[in-house]
Amino acid sequence: MTAVNTTDSAVPARGSSPAPRRAVKGGARRRQGSALDRALPYLLLAPAVIAILWLIGWPVLSVVITSFRKLNLKELTRGEVVWTGLDNYTLILSEPTFWTIALRTVLFTAAVVFVSVGAGLAIALLMRQVSPVVRVVLQVAMLLAWAMPLLAATTVYQWIFDQQYGILNKTLVKIGLSGFEGYSWFTSGVSTMSVIGLLIVWQAIPFLAFSLYAGVIGIPRDQYEAAGIDGASAWQTFRAVTWPELRPLLLMVTFLSLLWDFKVFTQIWAFKKGGPDGGSTTLPVLQYLEGLAKSHFGVAAAVSVLMVALLALLTFQYLRRLIRQEGDL
Amino acid sequence: MIAKKVTANVVAVVIAIFFAFPTYWMLTSALKPRSGLISTDYDLIPLSITGTNFSTAWTKPGFLTALGNSLLVSLTAVLAAIVVGLLAALALSRLRFRGRKGFVLMMLIAQMAPFEALLIPVFLMMRDLDLLDRLPSLSLIYFAVTLPFCAWTLRGFVNGIPMELEEAAMVDGCSRWQAFRRVTLPLLGPGLVATSVFAFVTAWNEFLFALSLMKDQTKETLPVWLSGFQTNFGTDWGGAMAASALFTLPVLVFFLIVQRKMVSGVTAGAVKG
Repeated sequence: MTAVNTTDSAVPARGSSPAPRRAVKGGARRRQGSALDRALPYLLLAPAVIAILWLIGWPVLSVVITSFRKLNLKELTRGEVVWTGLDNYTLILSEPTFWTIALRTVLFTAAVVFVSVGAGLAIALLMRQVSPVVRVVLQVAMLLAWAMPLLAATTVYQWIFDQQYGILNKTLVKIGLSGFEGYSWFTSGVSTMSVIGLLIVWQAIPFLAFSLYAGVIGIPRDQYEAAGIDGASAWQTFRAVTWPELRPLLLMVTFLSLLWDFKVFTQIWAFKKGGPDGGSTTLPVLQYLEGLAKSHFGVAAAVSVLMVALLALLTFQYLRRLIRQEGDL
Repeated sequence: MIAKKVTANVVAVVIAIFFAFPTYWMLTSALKPRSGLISTDYDLIPLSITGTNFSTAWTKPGFLTALGNSLLVSLTAVLAAIVVGLLAALALSRLRFRGRKGFVLMMLIAQMAPFEALLIPVFLMMRDLDLLDRLPSLSLIYFAVTLPFCAWTLRGFVNGIPMELEEAAMVDGCSRWQAFRRVTLPLLGPGLVATSVFAFVTAWNEFLFALSLMKDQTKETLPVWLSGFQTNFGTDWGGAMAASALFTLPVLVFFLIVQRKMVSGVTAGAVKG
């Protein structure tokens, strides 16, 4: 899971119960050795730092190193180290399908992020307008979507979109669109990607709507009242009040969505394994196919590096701002 | 004005149906007899109900093994991530020391690193450690994936508990450890639960590494088992839906327990199952 906190969370004050004020048995104030005191933060951090350096830091370094090696099953079993310089990169970059896949990944990510953030914002704003009962109903419904494990959701969507007995085709036929009888949604890459995109959007919106709603209710009421007195239209109110207040939060959830949606593998693989005819293959799928399926580990590592480079390019501006901001803590 | 309000409510209900429908469809399909699933009848509301799909899914070879594997791997990973993450969170939130800023940045960057891009080195590493086809490798990976998130989120929760409470306890004679255990830890409870649930869901959902590292069928986790369900057993949609429902149930229960915490967890930052 990747997630970022922008603000520090507040644990809801539990009726601000005061600390139990009673003497602890044998509670003479012990002054601990100052050496221990000074070492304490490092001792507390040590396990986390070791784990991160070992399990994340080293693989990051290693993926870059591996991308400059020829590493297929032969080299792997013999334990050979064969340096090939930029060969893996030239191989991939000269492959037209790579560019198709990269472009597809970027477009798919952009579409999914745009739709899910847009719909999330719309639902967040809608939640403020509806009656409390309807709001709870909507929230419970979104909770159901959010809680369903990725693979369970994928399986259900496959069943809904089933060619023969899927409820979607049955419904479309029922309302008179008889062309959908036995219609297959997975004969083209675009259609397959659309169904997968719908599934991802469906699962992503609840989080986005909940967090944006929390932002919306945080906007001071009097700002809306002032806008009302000035006779602002709904759109003007949104532009002048909602948008500026929500902008930071919107930027953050967009950034997170980019991170999450760019690397989607589970749903794509479970649906058609990148098919039909590679029509729904994205960069993470390519990485898996080259590496684990074909045992071209060097090439796959190069794909990973390019994948991260592309993601960094997409998020560069925001990343820079975020790191500068957090660095001030 | 009233018309506008009515429209908003109607739209909201339609959206609610859109979100709830797959869950509804999963449950009702799981309850339908096989004949109902492969008939052309239009059965938005199930015409007849049976429990056989659940018993088939439950007794299907592999299901209980996969369930056990998933539980084991997810729980150990989350437990380790919470303990290690809490220690780090305490240091970052409560103590001032040289290099603190650097650690904060490290956590932040580690949290954003697309772990999926590390498939190849992690695979090679687990191979060198002779951990392929062994569940501890998955525990280790899920621990690494959830740790930065846990540390970061818990740091937020610890920040929310005033330092003065602990200081007061220490004035009253508690040691630093006692003050933490008696004052801060209980207040931290809800935060710990919420963080654990999110971390658990991440591990519970993980597919790429489970698929790549566990080639042995007895080491499959639930997502991998479920993804192979159709090919392994034909397309037994009733069974698949029942298995999906059983797969969803623990997560749903957790989500309902921490539901309130979740929204404040969301405002605190960002979490996604």
